[in-house]
Amino acid sequence: MSRLQKIPVVEEKKGNPLARVFDDLVRFCRSRSLFILHYCTGCGAIELPPAMTSRFDMERLGIQPMVSPRQADILLITGYVSIKTLKRVILTYEQMGSPKYVVGICSCTVNGGMYWQSYATAKKLDEYMPVDLYIAGCMPRPEAVISGLQKLMDRINSGEADSWQDYYRNYDYYLGNQQKLFGEDWQTPTDIITEAKHYELMGEGTLGQHTRLLEQHQKPLEALEMRLGHNIKEPVE
Amino acid sequence: MRPENYEAQRQPPSNEYELNFGPNHPGIEGNYALKVKLHGDIVLEAKADGGYLHRGFEKLMEQRLWIQNIALVPRICVPDPSPMELCYSMAVEELCGLKVPQRAQWLRVMQLELSRIAAHLFTFGGHAATTGMYSTMYWGVADRDLLLDLFEEFTGGRVYSIYNIPGGVRRELPEGFLQRLTETLDYIESRLPDYDNLFFKNQVFVKRAKGTGVMSREQALEWGVTGPNLRATGLAFDVRRDDPYLVYDQLAFDIPVEESGDAWARTLVRRQELMESIRILRQVVEILPDIHGPIRAPIPNPLAWNVPAGETYTRVESSKGELCYYVVSNGGPKPYRVHVRGPSSMHAVQVLEKMSVGSRIEDIAQTMFSLDACPPEVDR
Amino acid sequence: MSQQVAHWLDNLLKEIEGIEVRRKSSRRVRVDVPADALPALLELLQGRAGYIHLSAISCVDWIDDDEFELVYHVWSYESHSLVSAHIRIAREPGVYLSVYDLYQPAAFFERDIHEMYGIHFEGSPNMEKFILTEWDGPPPMRKEFDSEAYINEHLSWQEYNPEWLQELVAEGGGVIIPPEEQRFSQKKK
Ligand code: SF4
Repeated sequence: MSRLQKIPVVEEKKGNPLARVFDDLVRFCRSRSLFILHYCTGCGAIELPPAMTSRFDMERLGIQPMVSPRQADILLITGYVSIKTLKRVILTYEQMGSPKYVVGICSCTVNGGMYWQSYATAKKLDEYMPVDLYIAGCMPRPEAVISGLQKLMDRINSGEADSWQDYYRNYDYYLGNQQKLFGEDWQTPTDIITEAKHYELMGEGTLGQHTRLLEQHQKPLEALEMRLGHNIKEPVE
Repeated sequence: MRPENYEAQRQPPSNEYELNFGPNHPGIEGNYALKVKLHGDIVLEAKADGGYLHRGFEKLMEQRLWIQNIALVPRICVPDPSPMELCYSMAVEELCGLKVPQRAQWLRVMQLELSRIAAHLFTFGGHAATTGMYSTMYWGVADRDLLLDLFEEFTGGRVYSIYNIPGGVRRELPEGFLQRLTETLDYIESRLPDYDNLFFKNQVFVKRAKGTGVMSREQALEWGVTGPNLRATGLAFDVRRDDPYLVYDQLAFDIPVEESGDAWARTLVRRQELMESIRILRQVVEILPDIHGPIRAPIPNPLAWNVPAGETYTRVESSKGELCYYVVSNGGPKPYRVHVRGPSSMHAVQVLEKMSVGSRIEDIAQTMFSLDACPPEVDR
Repeated sequence: MSQQVAHWLDNLLKEIEGIEVRRKSSRRVRVDVPADALPALLELLQGRAGYIHLSAISCVDWIDDDEFELVYHVWSYESHSLVSAHIRIAREPGVYLSVYDLYQPAAFFERDIHEMYGIHFEGSPNMEKFILTEWDGPPPMRKEFDSEAYINEHLSWQEYNPEWLQELVAEGGGVIIPPEEQRFSQKKK
């Protein structure tokens, strides 16, 4: 009986066979045009300009920097994240459109690196957001960065890089860690739970005690008021 | 797209608004933010907001051994890490009364000047990118990589070399290194006319930089500006010459000065400094083979090293200005207090705040890059 | 050059009481003054001896003496020398005067010391937080703040213990030194 259970059951994929071809094509295209969000969180960022420009030339792989989070695919965490930055990183991550990938460059994102004693930096990045790939080293050379990103491309191509779904499925866990660090009334303008419903990615860990806490504190989202100066001038005709 | 429905129409008309400039913004150098209040596109008020790169270095250094801190200090300023190592090492040497051998001093000069050239090339790249000239950035970064290759060869590290230790330097030069150094210097020198045509003489840049971010010499002195930014206002002050350390008093070099004090002048000063650094390096290449001897003074067991009690203030000219360390020891195995005074702590906060007022929003990036402000050094 | 410095400092000596001057080298002078005489000293140095550049203000927490030490490093572009003026103030309540009206760079250093040590400078233009705006713990640079205890409470990090290392250890290999024993220098004391 037990041996029988071990035999893998290949599930018949039903539906249009062309759809799978189309999925493969989409994944292939996705992995060939990646935009990195231009956000230098730490000292590993100094190796990115060499990696992007003519010597090591990441562009030949179709990887380019991008300035706005809405259009970016990869969030590159280049080094230690101080707690103040971590808040911005989470805000940025939630703003990025799916599918999105997080790559942690530098040992500091793995376990705090040489700042393990520091009161100001967060130690483990994957407590706060799902990480697809780590590139360890202090700091990793441009070659290492490029080979790491190539690995990410392979994983996207084969469909393994789906950790962004994890954020929706286990939102309670990530939110709990964020609340532990930033205080109980921590909230972001993005409504992850509604998004998870929309993508049909509600998992067992999406809702829990931490999200209940969030609902208690959450203020309804409103458009920001326009702030005005004191001396209002008439528009010049 | 229908203006009559536009929300702001219902508000009383105003041209003033606040804007968060950074930390995630391509026009800002590193992870740093400015809060600006604007009228149209004229800046009425600017407030710096730092701390995004804060790691608590000064606290960390109090918790580690004297020798462990060597690995920590270069991380304070990422584009130009070598002066940090040197400044800390000099402080420890002064507390212990260690005498650094001649050869080590020359090797240190070599490392510092290489690092200065690399930092300036990097700044040119970033500065050019703020005016939309990305080719200069590509060139600058690529040429800097040649210097990083040299660093890798003689120190073992590309960016953070960790070459200095209290008492001297860690390694002897590899064979034939000076030859390769000369070749690289020749190459960089031969590239400079190209840079001139592409960037320094380019009307796009000249028109943009002239008259942007002006400060007079009096203002610069009042605000505590140092380094190339001070020299761009006409005061020839350089720690290397006026408060000499290492063997700088045996070297011949000029201190380039410009008068106008704007972004243009600051860039020109840096460009001339590049030439001076190359000149210094050529002298080093000539003299170094004749200097023999050890490369470091004997130090006690570094893991059980109790530095004698005392305090000292060491100053070094980094590529960004005056860099100082105030180190206090109480005779224990760890520093009692290390205070880092980075040059950017003035430039990126007070000076930038004051110089942005009255300028246009698009000139903030220009001003910041021309001041060569380095946020990790402000935050520590 | 050092002749000039000596001349100026001799003059200064006469004017301020309780001052102690030590010349460490031709370009470095250490001055110890009582806390209330510091503004007068800086004014003299700036106005008459040309020490117009405030290089830094450093703060040292001498917790055993229950005192803070403030060090003002001023540099003269004319005589090329650096004077470090040391004062001591009581740890409680930790209040001192700002020197912003003499030296504008003081604003940054005072603000920094305020958030790192909690010393309040009267008359400083801006005592808001700059670096630690989102920090609600005690001023972290004070000696009594134990950052290791703080991170143990608030953060977690991952132990590096991969399988290959576990196998090595099981076979009797590998070197494991607990952190207390790694610090040779402390063991001796
Ligand atoms: S791993 Fe090293 S290079 Fe990377 S952020 Fe940490 S200290 Fe900097």
